Amino acid sequence: MEFGWNDEERDYRARVRGVLAKTLPANWDDIAVHGPGSRAQTEFSKDFCKLLAEEDMLIPHWPRAFGGQDGKPWDHFILGEEIWAAGEPRGPQYMNVNWIGPVMMRYATPAQQERYLPEIASGAVTWCQGFSEPSAGSDLASLQTRAEPVEGGYRVNGSKVWTSYAGLADHCFLLARTGPGKGGIAILLVPMTSPGIQVKEIPALIGEGDIHEVFFDDVFVPAENRLGEEGQAWEIISHALQNERIGIPRYAFSRRILDRAVAKLQADGRFDDPVIRDRAGRALARVEAARLMVYRVVDERDRGQPASAFANLARFAVVCADHAVSDFMLEFMPEGLLGDDPMQQAHHQRAIAAGIASGAAEIQLDLAARRHLNLPSEKRA
Amino acid sequence: MKFEPDDNQGTILDGLEQMIASLRIEPPKHPTTVAFSAELDAELGASGFLDIAREEEFTLLDAALVVERAARLPLTTEAASSALVGPLLEADAFQRPLALVRGSALAPARFLPQARALLVDADDALRLIAVDPARVEPVESLFAYPYGRLSSLDGLEVKTLDPALLPAVRRRWRLAIAVEAAGLMRAAIDTVVEHVTNRRQFGRPLGSFQAVQHRLATATMAMEATKWLAFRAAWSDDEGDCATAAAHAQDAIPTLTYDLHQFCGAMGLTLEFDLHLWSYRLKALLGEMGGSSAQAQHAAVHTWPRAA
Repeated sequence: MEFGWNDEERDYRARVRGVLAKTLPANWDDIAVHGPGSRAQTEFSKDFCKLLAEEDMLIPHWPRAFGGQDGKPWDHFILGEEIWAAGEPRGPQYMNVNWIGPVMMRYATPAQQERYLPEIASGAVTWCQGFSEPSAGSDLASLQTRAEPVEGGYRVNGSKVWTSYAGLADHCFLLARTGPGKGGIAILLVPMTSPGIQVKEIPALIGEGDIHEVFFDDVFVPAENRLGEEGQAWEIISHALQNERIGIPRYAFSRRILDRAVAKLQADGRFDDPVIRDRAGRALARVEAARLMVYRVVDERDRGQPASAFANLARFAVVCADHAVSDFMLEFMPEGLLGDDPMQQAHHQRAIAAGIASGAAEIQLDLAARRHLNLPSEKRA
Repeated sequence: MKFEPDDNQGTILDGLEQMIASLRIEPPKHPTTVAFSAELDAELGASGFLDIAREEEFTLLDAALVVERAARLPLTTEAASSALVGPLLEADAFQRPLALVRGSALAPARFLPQARALLVDADDALRLIAVDPARVEPVESLFAYPYGRLSSLDGLEVKTLDPALLPAVRRRWRLAIAVEAAGLMRAAIDTVVEHVTNRRQFGRPLGSFQAVQHRLATATMAMEATKWLAFRAAWSDDEGDCATAAAHAQDAIPTLTYDLHQFCGAMGLTLEFDLHLWSYRLKALLGEMGGSSAQAQHAAVHTWPRAA
């Protein structure tokens, strides 16, 4: 057991910082405050991810066979920490490289891999995930959007909601029902230009371009756009969400924002206040706790272990850390949300989504209770 | 970064498990608030486990692993002060068990009824007192640690140590709080998980209720966070890391002990049920060194030193 970085890891972090210093424009903070789903960030991400790809820093964790470098799990995480601390300039594309691409490597046909992976690897494309529906949020398996087999493919009818990035996405990673139950769901890779798709943005607390309704009205999807077999969707997205759950080092952004808040309080002569110091110290403890919990999950991955239920606890710790930092600033620096500090507002907007996006944090507690503590389920009782 | 024990650490932990198994440690048979085991404490001291931070081939983190494991036992021993604070002092300068006290040397201190030495953090002075057990008045309390106080210092050998040691003593004391709290939390959670798995009400196990599950999962998150913050602090021996770990530990104790006791109902209020052996050590640690607010402030000041 030890908690240090080795020389290679330190060098890698320095390289990442060097690349970010070189590639991020001076006005990046002005772009970042718009949020990852905004037009400004989505368009910026396409230029930026192209530059990252040229520096071998977009998909270093991918296997060489798919254009990556067989990067180590720790390097992937160091990259994620540095990029997230910088405000996630990959915008919506973090999702492509973290889980959509890896899922395709495992489950897609060679033709699909050839079609989709190169454009993800070059940073040229935006995906959205068509999961949640009006009656299927946390209870995802109850989704009702139907994919009816027709000659040459499927006809899709239904609607998705709270879909991030849909307004500007090129493709949708869509879950649709071909039969009853968890075993009756298929994944369709749907071009967002398909006739019959209509996207409507829902004004939201978390910024422009982040939440949409997507309507599917007799949308034809060719059979070759199905990922995996009919009915295999649950297995595939369970695998995908394992990556999603711990793929985002949110605590790195929270730590940066907390450091920044303290620097401002010091400059304003307010950091001698023991109450403020106390609360800053408590927020710091939450952030560092989340960091170590996530590191433990990465260590598990680094040792080639299957993902354990510890990841559920870690994700909850990350959510708590985001809120601790946001609430600290709301209490002692409310002016930040009154126009003084757009970056503080951007952090707040990410924090309030942290426990909701990719599954409510309480689902993580359910899973931790059953799989980590082995508590009896209601059904078994 | 590695979260699994290395070979050295594995050997230490295996050896400790063997020692524990050979002593056949069981919770006390008669209801008692304090379950101090003189036999286990002496064995731990004699075995050398509490001195490993002094050895070249071992580290402070190795010592922390021992303290965390010892804290999980239902019987209390003075492991943390000896293993984590003691190595700052010359080995032949004192005999363990080692009690720690802040402010007045006559204030109640954990382990003083058994201690052979008392280290006093007197704000601007550091003193080491050779304890004469005959001069210790036991202090009765609900806490599951033995407490005592010295009636006076008359005739006791009091050494004044270099006050430059004070910051290190306080740093290690914070570390000791965090490491011990992590072990106590884990054992307390294990006890309650077993209880709610077996105890049935409303026709089903208590642990099948989501209201119970979520709070136990949250308690487990707090325990794991405390543990890893504490182990990292032991690894770095850094001022900010130690204060952060202690702040997190003490911050987590009120909610965690409240929840764990709630799930055991009236059983958890009795001395027949073992939960208090851990929860009332946690409650004692809650206020050590000034409590979570003092540790959080110290972490903040160290992490964000004022720009010149």
